[in-house]
Amino acid sequence: MRLYEHEGKELFARFKIPIPAGEIALNTDEAKKIATEIGLPVVLKSQVLTGGRGKAGGIKVVDSPQAAEIVAGELFRLKINGFPVEKILVEPKLNIARELYIGVTIDRVNYKLVVIASSEGGVDIEETAAKTPEKIYRRSFDIDQEMYGFEAITIAKGIGLDSELIKTGSAIISGLFKLFKKYDAKLAEINPLVVTTDGKLIAADSRVSLDDDAVFRHPELAEMGIEKRHEEGEMTPREQKATEWGIPYLDLDGNIGMFPGGAGFGIMGNDFIHYYGGKPANFMDSGGGPTPERLARMLVLLDENPEVKAIFGARFGGISRCDDFAKGVIMFLKDHGLSKPMVCRMTGNMWQEGVRLFDEAKKQNPELFRKFEFHGIETPIEEISKRAVELAREAEGGW
Amino acid sequence: MAILVDKHSKVMVQGITGGAGSFHTRRMIEYGTVIVGGTSPGKGGQIVEGKPVFDTVAECVKETGADTSVIFLPAPFVKEAAIEAIRAGLKFVVVIPEHIPIHDMLLVRKEAVAHGCTVLGGNTAGIITPGEANLGIMPDIAFTPGRVGTVSRSGSITYYIADTLTRTGYGETTCVGLGGDPILGSTFDEILWMFEQDEKTRAVVMTGEIGGVYEERACDTITKMETPVIAMIGGIFAPPGKRMGHAGAIVEGKMGTAKEKLEALAEAGAHPARTFLDIPEILKKLKV
Repeated sequence: MRLYEHEGKELFARFKIPIPAGEIALNTDEAKKIATEIGLPVVLKSQVLTGGRGKAGGIKVVDSPQAAEIVAGELFRLKINGFPVEKILVEPKLNIARELYIGVTIDRVNYKLVVIASSEGGVDIEETAAKTPEKIYRRSFDIDQEMYGFEAITIAKGIGLDSELIKTGSAIISGLFKLFKKYDAKLAEINPLVVTTDGKLIAADSRVSLDDDAVFRHPELAEMGIEKRHEEGEMTPREQKATEWGIPYLDLDGNIGMFPGGAGFGIMGNDFIHYYGGKPANFMDSGGGPTPERLARMLVLLDENPEVKAIFGARFGGISRCDDFAKGVIMFLKDHGLSKPMVCRMTGNMWQEGVRLFDEAKKQNPELFRKFEFHGIETPIEEISKRAVELAREAEGGW
Repeated sequence: MAILVDKHSKVMVQGITGGAGSFHTRRMIEYGTVIVGGTSPGKGGQIVEGKPVFDTVAECVKETGADTSVIFLPAPFVKEAAIEAIRAGLKFVVVIPEHIPIHDMLLVRKEAVAHGCTVLGGNTAGIITPGEANLGIMPDIAFTPGRVGTVSRSGSITYYIADTLTRTGYGETTCVGLGGDPILGSTFDEILWMFEQDEKTRAVVMTGEIGGVYEERACDTITKMETPVIAMIGGIFAPPGKRMGHAGAIVEGKMGTAKEKLEALAEAGAHPARTFLDIPEILKKLKV
């Protein structure tokens, strides 16, 4: 879960990492007012949950309150990688002598925390690592290790901080490491860490990503307004609706509605449809043990999408039960009706009961099942994928 | 033979009194898994599905000789439960719940390595040695005893692979679910090496997916293996930059794309499969 720059900086401040005296503007009037108060020139920084703001024109320096108002207006109309700018951080412009880099992240290969520091900040650290590895300082820690003062000092010296800055520099490094552990971070970066012309160290930017799965043990984040959030840029109306229903859903640009079970086959099924010459209209994941109501809602998302010409359903009952799956599909058929052809395979836990439910519902109301083809373990999933592609092709009048 | 679990494994369930715990305990017993008991702090002395409940893992081990644990507890409790199991001397711990905090899993992994314990998960459907033991939430119907091992990040993919191997007469030795969480207790390379040392496993099917680093990490092991490895990677056609369900499954730049993973695995000597139906074809050619 990525934090906005200003939120990351708020966390920095809690660990005594120096940050510029900035404030958040939600409209042009506020931008003008803050610029006047904190002293000109100021930097207007668009707050978006994506990288590459600078290149996209999301960061501007202005030297008058009027310019702050006008430029803020331009920024509020901007979209950066699909993220509309809704907040602008207004900060005094720093006089930069040097730019450094400090980051803490997780080394998934070795199951360690790793502190990365560099004398070259303000640029893409991965590029520096690839081109001039000698400028990168790395040190690994176990998750339950603390960083001692001498270690922070060694890192600070490693990136060329001299005796005057070594104390503040090492305090910033150990502060960032503490922040990383305290808030269950996945990434905590200061890039650049600026040495100002008057010899001070200050965190000019923040990039902090926290573990969504650990947010529950940090109630103080909610008090700061930091809650679980969507990080994928602008959502389509259907993705918005799915999010409200708590269903992981993505619109894609094909015409076959995907109604799989777990995320694993959700990803693989997408490939299968491609292999057989079709294109999925979406990605969707039911989650473990979905209720019939949830499954019915998932089908509504597909049936109401005009791009969807046929629906591909797959259920391998594990923690999800086939009887619940059948109940969900039947609930959907009864309440909503199926306007498109659907082919579906169901096997696994409680499949006999699922089949019985389908047979019974079909006997009561055969009309509901007119467009619904149903298969069990005897038909390979590849055949079902092929059939879905065929059905979509027929619905489009052949192509 | 089998890896990690067989009919001699003495299995306990942490969280045995909970809804999922008791439901799946019954299913595991019905399959023939030797379940010896379980834990639920404060509920020691109760009986669930005919098995004794203890307050701590150490008591359960002492009374029942348990050597393996399956955890059915909410994610926030997994760190303590897993470390308790590891420190009580269990050699194998299966973490079923998903969304275990990453920092917790790093700590669990450290404890496991220090104590020589293997941890699977989080977010795994479990592990099954067909005809002998079923630990977790896998549906029995897909599996039959045989000669191919499987290891996968995803439950549903494990089922489809086994379904294919069962239908085509190969059957399975052991099917291992690594789990879908970003930090896993065990990795492909470790499980592949166990299969390499298992005489009955004549080939291994591994399936991974976009994102993360675990598939590439297996390459070195595959080059050292005599047992053939068939590799499948999900997400060849996944749109870049979009997150598809599993936490690990996000493609950032070039790193961890499905295509690159598959190419790296093929270069290491694995046999790439596109669909499940390719698997029996490859096995036939390899004369497995």
